[in-house]
Amino acid sequence: MYNGFLKNNKGSLKFMVKKYFIWGGWLIALALIILLVKWFFVLEEHARARPPATVSSSADNANVEKPCTDDHVEWRGAQEIEGVSILASPICEPDNPFTIAAATKGTNNVSMSTLMQSHLAQDSIVMEEDLDHDGDPDVIHIKLEIVELNGFSPDGDYLMNTYNIAPGLQPSLWVYAPKMQGMAVKNFNSRVAHPLLRAPSPVIRVEQGDKVYITLENTHYLPHTIHLHGVDHPWLNSKGQDNDGMEEHAIFPGKQHTYEIQPRHAGTMLYHCHVQTAQHFMMGLNGMFIVEENRPNNWVQTLNVGAGQVRHPSVSVKKQYDQEYDLHYQSLDKQLSKIPQEANDPRLISQKMSREYNMSTSTENYFLLNGHSFPYTLRDAMIVAGENENIKLHIANLQRTPIAVHFHGHKAIIMAYDGVDAQQGSQITRDVFDVSPAQRLDLSLKTQNDGLNSYGAGLWMFHDHVPTGTTTDGMEPGGNMAILAYKKLLDEQGMPTMHEGMFNDVFNKEYYAKKRPIWSVGDFAFLLGDAGLVVPENGELIAFFIVLGLLLGIIGMLMWLYVKKDYEN
Amino acid sequence: MKISKLKDLFKVISIIFLLVLNVAQVSFAMMSMDEKGMVMNANNDNLPKDCPKISEEVNLSIHAGRKYATKFNGKMFAFDQQEWNVAPCAKINITFINDDQIRHQLMIHGLPGYLYPEGMLHLELYGEGELHASVILPSQKKTYLVHCELAQHAEKGMKAQLKVGGGDGDLPSIPALSAPVKVDIYKLDWQAVMWGGVLILLVSVLTFYSGRVLFLYYLKMNK
Repeated sequence: MYNGFLKNNKGSLKFMVKKYFIWGGWLIALALIILLVKWFFVLEEHARARPPATVSSSADNANVEKPCTDDHVEWRGAQEIEGVSILASPICEPDNPFTIAAATKGTNNVSMSTLMQSHLAQDSIVMEEDLDHDGDPDVIHIKLEIVELNGFSPDGDYLMNTYNIAPGLQPSLWVYAPKMQGMAVKNFNSRVAHPLLRAPSPVIRVEQGDKVYITLENTHYLPHTIHLHGVDHPWLNSKGQDNDGMEEHAIFPGKQHTYEIQPRHAGTMLYHCHVQTAQHFMMGLNGMFIVEENRPNNWVQTLNVGAGQVRHPSVSVKKQYDQEYDLHYQSLDKQLSKIPQEANDPRLISQKMSREYNMSTSTENYFLLNGHSFPYTLRDAMIVAGENENIKLHIANLQRTPIAVHFHGHKAIIMAYDGVDAQQGSQITRDVFDVSPAQRLDLSLKTQNDGLNSYGAGLWMFHDHVPTGTTTDGMEPGGNMAILAYKKLLDEQGMPTMHEGMFNDVFNKEYYAKKRPIWSVGDFAFLLGDAGLVVPENGELIAFFIVLGLLLGIIGMLMWLYVKKDYEN
Repeated sequence: MKISKLKDLFKVISIIFLLVLNVAQVSFAMMSMDEKGMVMNANNDNLPKDCPKISEEVNLSIHAGRKYATKFNGKMFAFDQQEWNVAPCAKINITFINDDQIRHQLMIHGLPGYLYPEGMLHLELYGEGELHASVILPSQKKTYLVHCELAQHAEKGMKAQLKVGGGDGDLPSIPALSAPVKVDIYKLDWQAVMWGGVLILLVSVLTFYSGRVLFLYYLKMNK
């Protein structure tokens, strides 16, 4: 038995060891072949004298959107509705003047026709007594709802109440919305959100000393509040209830709560949800709250839906400035914004958002100015200037990180910090304005061509100079980039001239899906388009595959001979 | 002369056009609205073309609110009922009651457009309260969608169906009545299926021994 193990026959130990060596040999041969194949194809990927040709990208022009759809040409001009004078807004998508009129006079003080065209509910902005007898109402009731945009649908593979922040991009968003009447969609067979339901949450404007009742009617499926950041408000309301909008006094779904204020101090302030603040703030529950100085006959535009130009400025603003704009800077985290699109059950959404998702790992992917990223900012977030104007800008940073707003071709003066007027000495002229999260700046921007305030007429870009601010999920140009446009350089649709070439590229969802080359224009379509695939020459391929086949055959032959020799012994 | 006649013709055409436009504005007249809510396209006495007379008159009181969602898992808003059945050509007198402190709607979709512009009846309450409206249904067997069209309200449970003459099937994602098209994924309770392991063991042991017994018996028989 012992001797048998050493003997050179089939059952012996020596033979068994040898058998394993043969198997090992096979494996090594296989590995060598894999290496050889890899080496060959990697070598093929290396360009030689003729790199692959440019791929034509003209085929996907099917997705190019009209830069401006001209939906409401009649809304652009200066007009008077219900005795409310409304300034011209020569941009592509101007605000609805009927909403402006109803928001200025109160939904209880306008005709049924104006109310219908404003789409506001009859009890959404109720204006009562003139407490100081100066010709304007001082008791204001404002009702806000909470709306989810780009939300889940259990009825199919699509989103509901859609709102594109840029071509093809629909992150879910939560916004405060004016209490409206009717459907939350554009029409009965559309899934697109009603135009009143959009980002950012509307800018609220009241007059200093007004008795303001802000009622949050929570139409959403999770609890929320309104915290009046920087706005003069008592800690409790007249009923002895919470008036600070804190987490422990959340307004649950289907319920409402009224916050009461009588602000003694004018300035640019904020409001936001203070429930699960990190998440809810970044989902979009934040807005600007502006208290205007008390003046006689001062009917202020209570809501500026979508921010941007104030088409009915207050008395004191009108006295000092030619125009007024609200600039709401906001950022979104695409991971966070995906959560409400991944489940329908509110329990699952709340678990995923508040416990499974770790907000300390959150990043900003989308940067919005007035609810849109470039190029949609060109439709409704431009500043349109004439020459020698003085324009009031309210900048609010509602992003997660600081912004550094820069105006090309201009230097502006800081008039107020966080809603407090700057003293003469601290009214600083700059061309980059750093604004930390939740801070506000009021600027005076003069379009006087004197080499300091302005360098003359132009289509001057303005944007956050933090490099990521002009990107959309990393794609440039995007983010909060917009244009300070001199009127004469806009076309009849209110779009900037001399940009047509770029429009075909960026008004295209394929661009932001990162499927299009960046400079594929004219002659440069060939020079800077997408490089195609390498197609190896047939001769080389045939030679390689023959060599490979030969190699496999030889190895097999050798192995067979080796085994055979053993058996014969 | 001829040119002026042509002009007259244009005038007549434009007048007819304006008249048609005015008819289209009837939808405005079919609406009532105040600070509490609104009713659009209610119909008290216009019979559908296919109904010689009203077959039955049904009084429905429909509640809407968060509290009606508590009987379903994973919903937030609901109506108190999810299905109503009426006869063809029935007239229903709806009392819509909102028990929440927020806006809710009751919309019935798919009605004949010649009686109900855009094919819908639209009831809306801006807060707690109630309102009344009637609707006369056609004779055809059909299931009508009933829901609240506020953002995420139907999705989160405020969806129901009205069946005329037995209806023509069920609509998807009606709480506890029909499955959604796009479903939620939940975690499986593994503890609840643990006993399955014991069952497998038991069945395998039993099979083995019974098989052995049968095999031995077979051998014995073939000896």
